[in-house]
Amino acid sequence: MSSLQNDVILAVDGLSVDIATQRGTLHAVRDISFEVKRGETLCLVGESGCGKSMTSLAIMDLLPKGATRRARRLAFAGEDLSRAGARRINALRGDRMAMIFQEPMTALNPAYTIGNQLVEAYRLHRKASEAEARERAVHLLGKVGIASAGERLGQYPHQLSGGLRQRVMIAMALMCGPDLLIADEPTTALDVTIQAQILRLLADLQRELGIAMVLITHDLGVVARIADRVAVMYAGQIVEEGPTAALFGNPRHPYTRGLIDCIPVPGRTQPGGKLGVIPGVVPSLVGDVRGCSFRDRCAFAREACAAAPPVHRAPDGQSWRCILENAA
Amino acid sequence: MIGYVLKRLGLALLVALAVSAIAFFLLRLSGDAATAIAGEGARQEDIELIRKTYGLDRPLVVQYVEWLWQTLRGDFGTSLYFKTPVSALVLDKLPTTIVLGLTSLGFALLVSIPLGVLAAVYANSWIDRLALAIAVVGQALPNFFFALILVMFFSITLRWLPVSGSDSWAHFVMPTIALGYYVAPAFMRLVRAGMIEVLSADYIRTARAKGLPARSVIFKHALRNALVPVVALTAVQLGFLLGGSVVVETIFALDGLGYLAYQSITYKDFPVMQVVVLLLSVLYVLLTLLADVANAWLDPRIRVA
Repeated sequence: MSSLQNDVILAVDGLSVDIATQRGTLHAVRDISFEVKRGETLCLVGESGCGKSMTSLAIMDLLPKGATRRARRLAFAGEDLSRAGARRINALRGDRMAMIFQEPMTALNPAYTIGNQLVEAYRLHRKASEAEARERAVHLLGKVGIASAGERLGQYPHQLSGGLRQRVMIAMALMCGPDLLIADEPTTALDVTIQAQILRLLADLQRELGIAMVLITHDLGVVARIADRVAVMYAGQIVEEGPTAALFGNPRHPYTRGLIDCIPVPGRTQPGGKLGVIPGVVPSLVGDVRGCSFRDRCAFAREACAAAPPVHRAPDGQSWRCILENAA
Repeated sequence: MIGYVLKRLGLALLVALAVSAIAFFLLRLSGDAATAIAGEGARQEDIELIRKTYGLDRPLVVQYVEWLWQTLRGDFGTSLYFKTPVSALVLDKLPTTIVLGLTSLGFALLVSIPLGVLAAVYANSWIDRLALAIAVVGQALPNFFFALILVMFFSITLRWLPVSGSDSWAHFVMPTIALGYYVAPAFMRLVRAGMIEVLSADYIRTARAKGLPARSVIFKHALRNALVPVVALTAVQLGFLLGGSVVVETIFALDGLGYLAYQSITYKDFPVMQVVVLLLSVLYVLLTLLADVANAWLDPRIRVA
């Protein structure tokens, strides 16, 4: 039993994020729960505004002003972060848990050199000397595929391309050898060719260093390649979760099915043929949200969907939040 | 970085030259030098004689080139009112004004930067409102009036500080506060606005994600970026300081350049006026140059330009 618990690096239980807006409270994340095991990659997928980013920021306690989080439990390596003070959070952040952001162009401080920003966390958490930290930085810059790393340390962010900056961000996140890495759409802002490189790099590093990774993306192609497990978010809730193969092979929730149908498949999608489209728009999350939030766009919707849908679990670990007991 | 500094230095020299020309021609337009030299009740022949002797009948451009040449060689002429060389006069007064300028700028920054940071970090709290009140009062109060309040309080009621003169450091305390408080509000508002903007930047979130403590996030990562526009404002505010020092120096009988400027205008003392205007503008150009260099150091992206 204890070995099983040690296996789980992150256990999120009943996490909600509310944002105060002019029109009322926006329920950006609504009572979600999931676990990430050591060395595992979990992908959080969903459309823009479904609460993926808010979930990751809530775990790191980095929510913007006006957003508040609630959780029954937010356990990192068995320790409940939802009750930890700012000092304890600061001791874990950048050391045991690290994060990479969507926008490499603005995520680095323009006023300081790459080297200065790389060594910061290592010197703070490891009480290392400047020389030790720089050595570690050079080692990691090499690992993320940056040539002549020693010279790069003296450069400023504006002297680097977007792809290089994201590599620097990855190296920065890995400085202290974290147990958990949260990557919030790390390739969205990059060129398509660079996207593939960065994703492969992340997947390789994750495997080599045995880090648990939460990868947030809206790109199902990425998910299929690197995720161990997938959680599909819709309107602030996890509507389906399970092992990657099971979820892609046998999607149970109509929304997951719709998402997968939107991906063009070579050989199956006819040239000039139409891709799948999910009709309608995401409902507003301001004020009270009742029942299944997908029902307005769902082909299987019926009266019972106006009540909160039940959560079903299959033996293979797949779970879904729908009145349908079997595949849609 | 050195190339950048040299480029700015060249530009600064050109600006100083242009300013010297404008100052020369403007002053000549403001009144007749020969009449001023001759004094009241002089006869027309005397004025004509003076015009010939001093070479004032030649074209203005020739006079300007000659004046510039003499000035560059260090010959500033003789004061018509004090009857002493202008260079000695100016050198005598300059240190007082420089000291007052630096102390009041220092005072302004010392007050406005911490206050601006506090106001931004605790935006819309009572601290923010208090800082705003201090700024509004500073902006609304004429500095001669504020200077008089200071005199009433510290010299007459408490008897802590001397009313006037420039013999000891104690003579500089009230002028420094009066002049510093005059320019502080603009700094404070700018620091506050800059900090509020910078604190919501992505790289601040990155810094927090590293687990850095709040003071490091605020003072290392945020403040440096928020200070870039402040440094640019410093140059502009120094201009205000030089202007304000005319009033403040006069009130406290602080014998500096500002007071000399006031006197030379009153007595139509052309040689002194010209040199004071030139000196103040060169000072201003130099300070702007310093601000540019400091900005380049703060924000590496500027160095390329």
